[in-house]
Amino acid sequence: MKEKLSRIWKGITWSWSPKSSREASESVVRNFWLHWFPSRISLRSMSWGYSFWLGTFAVCLFLILAATGLLLLFFYVPSVQNAYWSIKDLENVVVFGWLLRAQHRWAANLMVVTVFLHLVRVFFTAGYRGQRVWNWYIGIALLVVTLFLSFTGYILPWDQLAYWALTIGTGIASSLPLLGKSLRFVLVGGNVIGQSSLLRFFALHNFFLPAALFFLLALHMWRIRKDGGLACMDSLILETKSREIAVSPTKTYSLLGVTEGTTIQVATTEVLDDTNSVHSSPHLVRRVAVVFLLTTIITLFFALLSPSPLEEPANPFVTPIPAKAPWYFLWLQELIAITTIRIGKISISGGLIGGILVPAFLILLALLWPFLDRSPKEAIGVWLHKSRKKQNTVFIILSAAIILLIIVGVYLRGPYWNFYWPWRPWPKIPTLF
Amino acid sequence: MGILGKMSILAALLAEAIGAIKAFVPQVLYEPPSNFKVGKPDDFPEKITFLPEHKLYIFRSGKEFWAISAVCTHLGCVVDWKPDQAEFYCSCHGSVFSKDGSNMSGPAPKPLLWYALSLAPDGSLVVDSKKQVAPDYKLSI
Repeated sequence: MKEKLSRIWKGITWSWSPKSSREASESVVRNFWLHWFPSRISLRSMSWGYSFWLGTFAVCLFLILAATGLLLLFFYVPSVQNAYWSIKDLENVVVFGWLLRAQHRWAANLMVVTVFLHLVRVFFTAGYRGQRVWNWYIGIALLVVTLFLSFTGYILPWDQLAYWALTIGTGIASSLPLLGKSLRFVLVGGNVIGQSSLLRFFALHNFFLPAALFFLLALHMWRIRKDGGLACMDSLILETKSREIAVSPTKTYSLLGVTEGTTIQVATTEVLDDTNSVHSSPHLVRRVAVVFLLTTIITLFFALLSPSPLEEPANPFVTPIPAKAPWYFLWLQELIAITTIRIGKISISGGLIGGILVPAFLILLALLWPFLDRSPKEAIGVWLHKSRKKQNTVFIILSAAIILLIIVGVYLRGPYWNFYWPWRPWPKIPTLF
Repeated sequence: MGILGKMSILAALLAEAIGAIKAFVPQVLYEPPSNFKVGKPDDFPEKITFLPEHKLYIFRSGKEFWAISAVCTHLGCVVDWKPDQAEFYCSCHGSVFSKDGSNMSGPAPKPLLWYALSLAPDGSLVVDSKKQVAPDYKLSI
């Protein structure tokens, strides 16, 4: 009877504990949900201090965004007449609609932060070196898609923020030489921002961009396994190999007959033993579950603390004073406001320089960086390795410049984009309507 | 598969892609006309009138009229007229334009546009926002 009760209790709580190493490994291979995990995971990869689990947090945020977004789709109406009022309904009429929207918005904001911090972590641990360069590229693409998802997302409520963000955003696109005007025409769906613009951004936000993100994410996860795990595995392999005798050359390491020779995956499994690793099942599974729960709690906490704002309905005739983008785009808005160049009679718009050329240069720099990096192999997977002082300094300066511009944009810009100290009151601007 | 087969598949996919992209270029625009009446000349007081629905400023000096677009040449926000300074200010990024629309400071790369003004047979002022004119064009009536 006691045994039966115990079995029922275990059935409910799923306190699974494998009886042998083999059983633990097999559980990963045989389970659909777990098959993308490695059989064992190093303690270094598991530690909170190495990766801060930022990538996993970002994935969890995406899952929360997908779930809340799918629910929001039941209530949102993508028409210029009804979009704003459907959001008003969500805020005031739909039961817990405000919470759904607030959690979606907070998860989106936190995703931008998390994905950026993830990039910072990878940079400081030289996680983009060698064959990981492809995953670095996929990661940059994921950051860009995340930003586009944010942009297309705050267009949808069709309030003043949405309308003027779309005006400025498509204005930046049209400042591109030669193609600019046509690009704006296609993005807007005409010359005047209206119904076709909203529908285009709705389709992008709800299908094409999430689909691109999902596809890139799948590639990103696959590459982590293919590259032999996180970059800290490389340092573990280097340390272990210097201690141990090389593996027998007569042994074959083919992986199901697909891979030949001693691949990175083989090298990884060679160094993992009971002293430096644990079984993914249950340890990694449990950890991912903890991260997911933490992400849910954090987003819910912020959502409860601060519901989503909604400005006045979109008014094509009145530009808000000042018209500010969400914080993560304010460094770009600051750039487009200050980078117009005049040489004699020729002027080049800040829209082109700050809105297109500077971000393109930063992306290009990130793409080229792995080839400019000349630090030794020992630096891979090690936080702030001493051989990388100079490049870390350059990275910190660039990141600090972006953060500084964001701070200026958020706190120090007032009406007509004039500079105001936070303690200086803004002048009263007479409004037209 | 031979080279011809591969090329045919490529050509078919390319044709599909071009077709799909072409669909995104609007063929008919349900937009307000670019040529529109703004009222009788006598409806406009001396100096300046803002027409928000057309994003347009109409200036009047006696019997002379001229029209300046209120759309900032930087990124398309609407500029405000400040009567005290007799200047236009853009609320988005702080561009400043003089009374005749020329860009004075801030990020705007070009002067504000001047539109052609004419008189309709019924005596109304007609603005043609597709037709830009030099910044000294004035309609005398």
